Amino acid sequence: MTYMAIPNIGNYTIALATAVESLGIKAWASTATTPEALKLGISAAPESVCLPMKAHLGHFIEADRAGVEYAFMVNSVGTCRLRYYRHMIGQILKDMGLKIKIFGLGFDGFKPPIVRYFDPGPVTFLKPIFHTALKIKVIDELEVAAWRTRPVELTQGDTTRVMNRLLVELSESGTMAGTRAIRRKAARCFAEIPIDTEKQPLKVGLVGEISFLRDKCLNKNIEYILGSQGIELRNFFLLGEELNNISRIVLLNQNRRKYLSRIADRYLQCTVGGHALDSVAHSIRCADEGYDGMVHLCPSGCMPEVSVRPILKRVSKDKNIPILEMSYDEHTCGVGMATRLEAFADVLRERRKKVNK
Amino acid sequence: MNDSCYLGIDVGSISTNCVIIAPDGEVLFEIYKRGEGSPISSVQQCLAQLTEQMPERLSIKGVCTTGSGRILAGAMVGADVIKNEISAHARAALHLYPDARTIFEIGGQDSKVTILRDGAVVDFAMNLVCAAGTGSFLDSQARRMNITIEELSSRAMLSDNPTNIAGRCTVFAESDMIHKQQVGHEQKDIMMGLCHALVRNYLSNVCNGKEIKPPVVFQGGVSANAGICRAFREALQCDIIIPPYNMVMGAYGAALIAAQSSIVETRFRGTEVAARPIATRGFECGDCPNCCEIIEVMDDDEVIGRTGGRCGKWEGKTGPRESLRGNGPSGAVSAASIDCEKCGLVDDVPDLIQMGVRKK
Repeated sequence: MTYMAIPNIGNYTIALATAVESLGIKAWASTATTPEALKLGISAAPESVCLPMKAHLGHFIEADRAGVEYAFMVNSVGTCRLRYYRHMIGQILKDMGLKIKIFGLGFDGFKPPIVRYFDPGPVTFLKPIFHTALKIKVIDELEVAAWRTRPVELTQGDTTRVMNRLLVELSESGTMAGTRAIRRKAARCFAEIPIDTEKQPLKVGLVGEISFLRDKCLNKNIEYILGSQGIELRNFFLLGEELNNISRIVLLNQNRRKYLSRIADRYLQCTVGGHALDSVAHSIRCADEGYDGMVHLCPSGCMPEVSVRPILKRVSKDKNIPILEMSYDEHTCGVGMATRLEAFADVLRERRKKVNK
Repeated sequence: MNDSCYLGIDVGSISTNCVIIAPDGEVLFEIYKRGEGSPISSVQQCLAQLTEQMPERLSIKGVCTTGSGRILAGAMVGADVIKNEISAHARAALHLYPDARTIFEIGGQDSKVTILRDGAVVDFAMNLVCAAGTGSFLDSQARRMNITIEELSSRAMLSDNPTNIAGRCTVFAESDMIHKQQVGHEQKDIMMGLCHALVRNYLSNVCNGKEIKPPVVFQGGVSANAGICRAFREALQCDIIIPPYNMVMGAYGAALIAAQSSIVETRFRGTEVAARPIATRGFECGDCPNCCEIIEVMDDDEVIGRTGGRCGKWEGKTGPRESLRGNGPSGAVSAASIDCEKCGLVDDVPDLIQMGVRKK
């Protein structure tokens, strides 16, 4: 069997792994960067690049060591450095003398090079694509259900356990019928978790760089830390929404960016790339919707997110919503982060108590 | 009810502090101890000292630990509440000065600013990547000048004409200081210049973008340094309040939190902990590729606490290791998990799913 290493984007990696099957090969991936991979990446990458790049690089080195022949790396069209990362990672791997062959996403002619290389038949190709779309939808639903349930669960850890179990089943599911069954079961399982119906959890929005938002290893499991402190989260990166956006651009010429830049117009007019516009627009939207606070995750040296940090400070002042800045890299210790998050939760709780008085 | 009291323990990077308060917030005992690197023995020494000082009639009704070593200390003594130091410091300052609007807290390796409005914390910041504006910086400079930190403070107060010293980075401050010494500046002026450099660094790095409004309360280990207080007064052009228990405010806040959190029965293991052979040992969890290093706190042969896991299944659990291993993130079987078994859910899932790894 031929294997291909794919970058991890949190739980969505499960869906991406299905997409790889459309090429007639199997995926080699994990839903979070392993500490071992991170170590490899840090030692191989230039010191000043951002942490997500080091994580991806480490993942591919680990893959090569496991004997994987191919790798796939996204290269976005934003003005962030991510667009060059496929070439950079490819070059670093080559300099290290590794044999792994890395593909990007991109068209030259009718078929993307990656499809031309493996040349799957139309049936092999299309079926997993539909299955992937379905899985992404299911994972979106799981994520949303987990944010809602975790802060109000009666026994701490129930949500995480249900979620992880469903994800394992999802990653093993090979047919669309099976995935649909999991989707029905998911709704039932989450409904069965005993919850405290009286509790009014604090609501916090999570914005920032996508790898940090999605990778449990890079964000030190922030969804769990905040959720178990009784905070209902909203993580502003749902792959399903991003894909809907693409289909909307193609079919209706309606870009979500236009909508976001209308919201953020007073604060940010020019393009800074990455998900910076999203960070600003979602912070403003959350403030208007009455969220208690925001957490902004930003890798040290991430150009787009660093550029909007002063803007977010202004938003925080104008809209009277606390925004916690979390800018860090591999040198930051977890204790300091946990202390900040804990203190932030205390601040939000005090604020709400005062408002209710 | 006169006999009940509450204990707050602050295990910081440089010092370990204990405070015992009466239920109304009056401080009965305070201990400030510079640690020698081992948090366990520091806490034990503090408790031993406490046993000597404390009259028999007092009984501890609640314990709260804070500071960077709060989890380990909490497991050790059996804390009822474990609280972060930002909240603890704010609680103590607000108890003494209800109208305070800014708290500066500079400790051994952390410096923080907390913004309060109408008696509640609204914002805070903590030094992120650099410790140039903290106690360790002053400590190392004093050591270089071959004087104690107390001498540094008293000499700086004598200066009328402080020298300008670069304070961005500890190493560069040192080279600048050597240069100023060689040029022939007086020692007291250099000392005061150092204090100004620290304050400048703190105000521009940690307080960046924060609205500093008086009354300002200044606490933490460095607040004992008169030179720094003078530099703050000159930089901000307003009065700086140094609270009476400035060195142990974290522990005081922790004790207040313990007193106010309506504890029915304390889990405190008694001051005898001071004499117990407490040790820690680490092992690798290995249930999933995260391979978390778990620290077990041992009292003789008995496990009294665990910490260090990423998924939370080891946190605070004291059962035998084998019964916890292999379980899902929340660990041992709970009432809820029995409910979930209806839909076929069991407790053996990893926190991290790997696909295709079985190859080779």
